[in-house]
Amino acid sequence: MTDMTSNTPSRSQSQSAADEGAGREEKRLGFALTLPAQLLVLFIALFPILMQVYISLTDWSPLDGIPWYRAYELWIGLTNYVDLAGDPRFWSAIWRTLIVMLICVPVQFLLGLGLAILFVDEFPGRRAMYSTILVPMMVVPAVAGYMFFMLFQSGGPINGILSFLLGSSVQIAWLSDPDLALLGVIISDIWQWTPLMFLILLAGMLSVPQDQQMAAVLLGAGWWRRFFTIVLPRMKTIIVIAIAIRVIENFKVFDNFYIITGGGPGVATETISIYIYKVTQNDLIWGYVAAIALAILIVLSIVSGMAISRMRKG
Amino acid sequence: MTEIVLENLGKKFGEFTALNGMNLTIANGEFVALLGPSGCGKSTTMNMIAGMLDPTEGEIRFSGKKMNGVPMGRRGVGFVFQNYAIFTHMTVRENLAYGLKAQGESASQTKRRVDDIAELLQLTDLLDRKAAGLSVNILQRLAIGRSAVVEPSIFLLDEPLSNVDAAFRSVMRSELKALQRQFKQTMVYVTHDQLEAMTMADRIAVMDHGKLLQVGTPLEVYNNPVDTFVARFIGAPGMNLLKGHVGSADGAASVDLGATGRTKVVDAKSKGDVIFGFRPEEVKPDPKGELHMAVTMVEHIGARTILHLMEGQHEAKAVLPAGSDVPNQGDIFHFNVPGTAVRLFDATTERAL
Repeated sequence: MTDMTSNTPSRSQSQSAADEGAGREEKRLGFALTLPAQLLVLFIALFPILMQVYISLTDWSPLDGIPWYRAYELWIGLTNYVDLAGDPRFWSAIWRTLIVMLICVPVQFLLGLGLAILFVDEFPGRRAMYSTILVPMMVVPAVAGYMFFMLFQSGGPINGILSFLLGSSVQIAWLSDPDLALLGVIISDIWQWTPLMFLILLAGMLSVPQDQQMAAVLLGAGWWRRFFTIVLPRMKTIIVIAIAIRVIENFKVFDNFYIITGGGPGVATETISIYIYKVTQNDLIWGYVAAIALAILIVLSIVSGMAISRMRKG
Repeated sequence: MTEIVLENLGKKFGEFTALNGMNLTIANGEFVALLGPSGCGKSTTMNMIAGMLDPTEGEIRFSGKKMNGVPMGRRGVGFVFQNYAIFTHMTVRENLAYGLKAQGESASQTKRRVDDIAELLQLTDLLDRKAAGLSVNILQRLAIGRSAVVEPSIFLLDEPLSNVDAAFRSVMRSELKALQRQFKQTMVYVTHDQLEAMTMADRIAVMDHGKLLQVGTPLEVYNNPVDTFVARFIGAPGMNLLKGHVGSADGAASVDLGATGRTKVVDAKSKGDVIFGFRPEEVKPDPKGELHMAVTMVEHIGARTILHLMEGQHEAKAVLPAGSDVPNQGDIFHFNVPGTAVRLFDATTERAL
């Protein structure tokens, strides 16, 4: 972050060294003042996680009639984690989630970046177009789910348009074909979340100092050179943030997927959160659910941890 | 190395005229300062020379070649931005090499030329440092080096010292002047600071409200301002301008300054209402002086003292050298202005007579 602001010349750094003593004192006071709020936040975040760890080590289920705090009576140690490691449905759900993520995030990134490049300069109608592009993001995911559910029906508009373009009747069973259903949900995710990527990347692109770009032009750099040596490197932090947000969100994607396909046909679109939902609601083995959720939390924490450390460095 | 000719240059932004009918020839290797208050059109002029803006009127020529419409990357212009626009995400070396790489110079040539310019600007030890966090005088050298390495024929500098604190500015000024002597390029320097223009430039072009008012060496502009604006703008404090009336008394031309007094002038070219101008430094205290004004404030600034004077509608300043007798606030200060120091301006057009 410092990189972005340090463009204004500073006379020397000895000034900041002199301030350090006073700064440390100030930091301590700041910490003391925010401590109560920090403890509250810590409690809100920490309590469910500790509870989750606790439940995940038992065979507890809400149907057993035992309150959760006495779940230790059903203690099974690491059995849930051992089961998880050998659960083919869990691994295929993870694998499917990764596929969705590995397709959605790069596509959303490239589309978002392309749109940002188009929108970075003023043109007539820019504001109106800009607002229009952001609309999908504001649609409730469940509603977007229903929309795509209807669009992808065999007699729905997508087949209708394809029929019109190809001149013969197209009857593709988008959502009931195990090979195509995943494509359907991926398209819905791209439609809904490319605008967010666009929004973040455009903000980042607009914050690239204009005079640096001018300086590059005056030194004879063409558009591509300028883009790859000035614009992209200066957007590094914001790109990491945008991608991290989408990676995490894609891991948790649920509502529109659940509405479009319900994870089906069979398990063809069953991502990890849909799998968790099914185990929670249908199988009611909450100890096991806690173990799955914790495993995912750890993975996502590592992802965001890497993103944050990248930001610090940037 | 290039001669720059601006011919009848003009720029309009919609209804607003930023620059109007500018004619200026900048000789090869000359250091010209465009001086004026903000909004006077100096930056607009510079941006048009660089090619960042297209003129709506007139022509720009570099050594006889018309530049209107030539994209800025192909004009051979080095530009030093107000905040230097250093690529802070790169090292010093990458900054210096940027233009050479963009122009397709070979890796070995690039390295050689970067090393040479770094040597010249004493940046060799810093080559592999990140440009972020370098001190401002190094940033200035780097900005100049980055432009100079591609050997532009023209250097444009846009208020490069405005972010620098006053104490450091004189160091930077002399460094900049030394660099210009080294590179011998044609330099155009935009500033609103008359001291910068006076100390560095070969010639100063004073501008106001989109018009070029006067071009000349620092001393010409200082000694013979073409109008009251230039008179007031150049010098710190600027020239004193008092309303008066030229008539003849005792056979010699003299100016009647009302309550302030009446004083002889060397050659009054016309009679009637005039603006009577004199530099505060030219005030000669004299108890029997022809002019007198009340002292409203006394500023002691070390080597010299500035008196703020007032009499009726007239306000003036006087600069007294160290060791003079300094009157107190409220005293009536008597003084003379030597006839040769007097500049007369037309009362209505405010132009020099």
